[in-house]
Parts: sequence; C-alpha cells; structure tokens
Amino acid sequence: MSDRNDDLAAQSGAYALNALSPEEREAFEKHLASSSETRTETTELSDTAVALGMAIDPVSPPPALKANLMAMIAQTPQLPREVDAQPLADEAPGVDVAAAPIAPVTPLGASVSLADEVSTEQSRSAQSASAAVPSRAETKAQARWFTRPATALAAVAAAVALIVTGGVVADSIGRASLDQTSFASQQADQLAAINAASDSQRLVSTVAGGATATFVWSAELASSVVIVDGLEALSADQVYELWYIDESGARPAGLMDAAEDGPTWRVLDGDMAVGDVIGVTIEPKGGSDAPTTDPIVVFETA
Amino acid sequence: MLVVMSREADVSAFPEEPGASASTPQDLLERVATGDQAAFSELYDQLAPRVFGLVKRLLRDHSQSEEVTQEIFLEIWQTATRFDSNRGAAVSWILTMAHRRTVDRVRASQSSRDRDVRIGIRDHNPDYDHVSETIEVRLEHERVEKAMSRLTELQRQAVSLAYYGGYSHSEVATMLKVPVGTVKTRLRDGMIRLRDEMGVAS
Repeated sequence: MSDRNDDLAAQSGAYALNALSPEEREAFEKHLASSSETRTETTELSDTAVALGMAIDPVSPPPALKANLMAMIAQTPQLPREVDAQPLADEAPGVDVAAAPIAPVTPLGASVSLADEVSTEQSRSAQSASAAVPSRAETKAQARWFTRPATALAAVAAAVALIVTGGVVADSIGRASLDQTSFASQQADQLAAINAASDSQRLVSTVAGGATATFVWSAELASSVVIVDGLEALSADQVYELWYIDESGARPAGLMDAAEDGPTWRVLDGDMAVGDVIGVTIEPKGGSDAPTTDPIVVFETA
Repeated sequence: MLVVMSREADVSAFPEEPGASASTPQDLLERVATGDQAAFSELYDQLAPRVFGLVKRLLRDHSQSEEVTQEIFLEIWQTATRFDSNRGAAVSWILTMAHRRTVDRVRASQSSRDRDVRIGIRDHNPDYDHVSETIEVRLEHERVEKAMSRLTELQRQAVSLAYYGGYSHSEVATMLKVPVGTVKTRLRDGMIRLRDEMGVAS
C-alpha cells in the first residue's frame, strides 16, 4: 500500500501539469484527499504551473466573445454553494440559487430550448454530484481541485459550444459604430444589467413574417433591449430602426441589422420611460430621423 | 486593459497599479459568486486576455480557442459559488481550470495530435523572444526563463511539452523516447525545482 501511495505521490508534477490520463487523475485525486503532504505539494506545484501560464503573452479575445458570454450568463443559473464546505466564522449566508439575480429566461431565440435543457440538466447533475460526495475531506480536496462540478458541467459545456457556434450576437451589433469593441462590450454589459435588474420586465410579440420579438426593460435603469428571433435579413440599402414613440412623436433609438445566425438583439439608445411605446421599422441605410414605414412590431410598456 | 496580476497564490502580494482603484480578481470572483453580472464583466475584462492567450498557446486554432475560452468563463460563472479564497488565489483557480479545460480539448482532438507525436517535438517553449506589451508580462517571462534554465534538459523538455504543448505524460515519453515512469519523475522533479526557483509557496 505504501508503495502504491509513493507511486501516486510521485505523480504530483504530472497532475499539476494536467499530464495524467483521466483514470490516473481520478486515482490521484482520491489520494489527495487522504494525504495532506501530497496535497500541500500539489497545491504548490499547481501554483507553479500557474506561473508558467503567466509567462504566456496575453491575447485579447474578439469583443463578440464577451457579448456572447454576457448574454449567456444572464440566463445561466449558478451552482448552489456546497453545504458541506468548511464552515467559516465570517462566511456569508449561503446564496440560494433561486434568489440570485437571474432573470426569467430571456428568449435568445434558437438557443432558448437548448438553454432550458441545459439548466435542467445542470441542476440534475449538480444534485447527483453533491449526493456522490462521500466525505468532508474529499469535499475539501474537491473544492480546491475543482473536478466534481466540472464533471457535472460537461454536458453544459458541450451544449454551450453549440450555442457559441451559432454566433448569438456577433453580427447583430456594432456594425454602425466606429468603435466596435467598446460598442459591443457596452451593449453586452447593458444587456446583462437589464436582465439582472430586480425590476426587469418583458413583453413578447410576433413580427410580421413570423419572427418572435421580445422586449426586456428595467424602469429603474431606464434601459431596454429588443431581441428578435428569426429576423429577416434586409437588402444592403435598408436597416432596422428602433423608436421610442410617445405623444410628441417618434425618437430614434438605434439601428440594427439582422444577425446572420441566431437571434438579433439591440439595447436601445437613450433613456426609456415607462409608458413609452417601442417600435421597429425598416428604414433606408443609415436610418431616418422619423419613421418612413409602418412598424413591423410594437411594444406598449404602459 | 490588462491589470497587473499576482504571480502566485498569495493574494496579499497582489500589486495594484498606482492610483488604480480596480477591484482584484479575488473581490470580483467573490461578487460573481453572488450572481453579480457586473463583477463578472469586470473579471472578464481583467483576465480574458490571460485565459485566451493560454488557450491559444495550446490549441493554436483560433475559433476553437474562442470556444474553449467561452466555456471556461461560463464555467467560472457557474462555479464561482464553489471558489474558496482560503484555498488559493482567484487567478490561480481560474488559470488552473483554464489549462485543464484546454488540455481536455487538446486530447479530444486526438487524431491530429497523434500526427504531432509522430512528427516529433515542435517548439513548445513560450515565446521568450517576443517583446511583450507590458512590463509585468516581460518580468514573468524572465522569471520563468531563469527558473527553467536551472532544470536539466529532460526536465525542461518534459515540463514544457506538458504545460505549453498540452501533452500527456505518455505522449511526452514517446516524444522524448524515455519510459513513462521517468517522465513522471522528471515532471515532479522539474516542477519542484521551478517552485523553489520562483519562490512559490502556498
């Protein structure tokens, strides 16, 4: 047995470098739970591996990546905190996942049914994962080494890859802006903020032609977003324009092109007030100061 | 955009930019654990270039690297509730997970990898010659390079192939033409040496 353990202990370097096979990894993690000496060494070697990672040149990912992510997390629940975790005197009360500021599922079009499945799958996996954790010691090691939740999330990650390749927002925003990077990023932040707002509300409507449009807004933030699934692409000399409509007329609220793939969404420019009517029209390229066509969809927020 | 980051686990050693009031990844991750999307956005801004750089280094393929980076950050969002700062720094937690997820992806596309192993060793060292944009990253380069120079040739090759190439110990063994047991030992010896040279302690 001690030979066996010595053999396992000798794998700390390979483990820290993720060079073990999945079976070896699992065996090593079991060993970790039982040997504080190996645990300390592995922690240090793992942090050493991090130092190797810090020597790699950072590369900025494309802005669409963040936009996608912010849209995803707005509708992705978080794992519940582990009840069995080491108790801490100053630990904040456990966060109930249901109480976390997760918006009602925002229909980002085609990804919606998939996302629903993902959430269900995930909570199921999370339950079975916590049920499978046998001891506090192991829980502790697991928490540091982070494998159990990851296993539970494998299905989620696979599903996410599908959503990602759908290119949820990449093409629907930013084209009209000079600074695509900050524009896309701002839009994504705002989308997240609207969905996260405690007072966020939504309306669903059907667009002429069959597409489904959703309007999500927060009165507190005076901010809102239009999300359309299946929005038809226009000819190159046309653009979709959003409007705030009130008694004094229509105020422009931004332009959008149909996403090539996946839902189209656009956070409205300017402040939105409850009572505003929101409309979308088709306008000549560059947009108009006032609508020149009838709206394809209208939302009444009063 | 890139924020100066701690080199290792000790968060108290976290250097902040002069005059910057930016939250540390540690603070941000703890806020993310309460469902704070704004904190997630800020954490992403701080660490995404690190993560993407790492992923791209191993995977090389741009679109796959984007996918994996996105998966990693989604996992950060979902599992931030399980992060415990008593067990290590936020940056370590994130980069450790990022490396593992990337290696998982590398292994998943095994066919192209077999070819690499047959062809032999590519250059898997970090681009030491590259002049980095920031002093911080250059210091990290120098620190790692210096520590690496203290390893034996076999230790250095094995560690580089495993970390920067994402190769398993058996692949490393094939490439370096040494027994798997030897590779495991060299990986451990090499990492312990690096730990001591770089002063990493938990």
